Amino acid sequence: MEISDLLLQAANLMLTGMVGVFIFLSILIFAVKGLSKLSTSEQSPEQPRVKSKSQRQDTSGVPAQHVAAISAAIAQFRQNN
Amino acid sequence: MDGLLNLWQATGLANLTFPALSMIAVGCGLLYLAIAKGFEPLLLVPIGFGAILTNIPVAALAEPGGLLYYVYYIGIDSGVFPLLIFMGVGALTDFSALIANPRMLLLGAAAQFGIFATLFGAILLNFIPGFEFTLQDASAIAIIGGADGPTAIFLASKLSPELLGAIAVAAYSYMALVPIIQPPIMRLLTSEEERSIAMPQLRPVSKKEKVLFPLMVLGLTLLFLPAASPLVGMFCLGNLMRESGVVDRLSNTAQNELINITTIFLGLAVGSKLAADQFLTVETLGILLLGALAFSIGTASGVYMAKVMNRVSSNPINPLVGAAGVSAVPMAARVVNKVGLESNPHNFLLMHAMGPNVAGVLGSAVAAGILLALVG
Repeated sequence: MEISDLLLQAANLMLTGMVGVFIFLSILIFAVKGLSKLSTSEQSPEQPRVKSKSQRQDTSGVPAQHVAAISAAIAQFRQNN
Repeated sequence: MDGLLNLWQATGLANLTFPALSMIAVGCGLLYLAIAKGFEPLLLVPIGFGAILTNIPVAALAEPGGLLYYVYYIGIDSGVFPLLIFMGVGALTDFSALIANPRMLLLGAAAQFGIFATLFGAILLNFIPGFEFTLQDASAIAIIGGADGPTAIFLASKLSPELLGAIAVAAYSYMALVPIIQPPIMRLLTSEEERSIAMPQLRPVSKKEKVLFPLMVLGLTLLFLPAASPLVGMFCLGNLMRESGVVDRLSNTAQNELINITTIFLGLAVGSKLAADQFLTVETLGILLLGALAFSIGTASGVYMAKVMNRVSSNPINPLVGAAGVSAVPMAARVVNKVGLESNPHNFLLMHAMGPNVAGVLGSAVAAGILLALVG
């Protein structure tokens, strides 16, 4: 085959290839954006629930003052015995 | 006396030819680069040693009946080894930087211009006497610009098996040379001001997005580019195993044992293609030249694309991150980080560069799929 024919084919391939790569990855950009929108819209009602859960954990845990009092008592007990 | 003569005939000394000896020297050179210089040692040690084994006279390890012949036949001729490695790479890849900032995919796409421009360049070389690259050869050579070893080997094994040795050696050598090839181009094309641009912090990405991402990429490949599905499919499988979190054992195997075992045999099989009659040609010189060109053009087009995006976008984009679009994960991203720190010591670009970096892996797999579909 003539080199000029090959060159023409290569140029053609270069153009279609680059256009192809850009189209494919651009579609992917929109798909990823859609994905993140989907997951954030599903997450937003969940977020307060997560917060309240962590708050509940705080209140259900032993308060810091109690912890201090108990550890002080244990220390005293160990000293005395 | 006859016995002694026969014994002499069976020695390497009696059968060693100059081309075989030069290829053994090339193998030793690769071993030197790997062991003393630390250039991609995981691959260059088995490739270099494979090259030596292949060129041992009489033993004929790379001829039908020899070990290396079968390793090549089973692993590379069939396309299995590069795909297994790609699965491991998928299991090693964290897409969160890309999911947080999907526009970085454009940089991964722009850097693939290195591939397609080199394709044109390879055909141009045909004007020089001694070069006779077909369109298949040119495509296989051009994929070196994808800076992705398994993709290059996969495509070369499908399009131009006789050039595979030189293409694989060029691809892995230039990947090791990324820290030397890229920075001058990056500095040349950007101003000090541009290099010190800080980018906003990336948002955290939910697990759900990370799990759905590989499935979505697979879906798009299925719809638009089935020719890329061997590469993209195995990559997505590895990534899904990683992100789903329910098959940690499989994910760990793909990331460690499987990729390591495959790497040993892949290297040996590539080495088996470094026989004197295939490697010591003027075409190998052309391939090495075109490989460097492909890397440089890919880097430059990534940087230019990032510059354009920085002008258009509301969020600032440091043009340096465009250079990471040529995959070569994670070396290219580290290079971006290093060059960025030279201009602004408080500007850590590593995470921002990981986005285009993994986009480059997808981009080169897509480019390989396109080449397979159009030329294969």
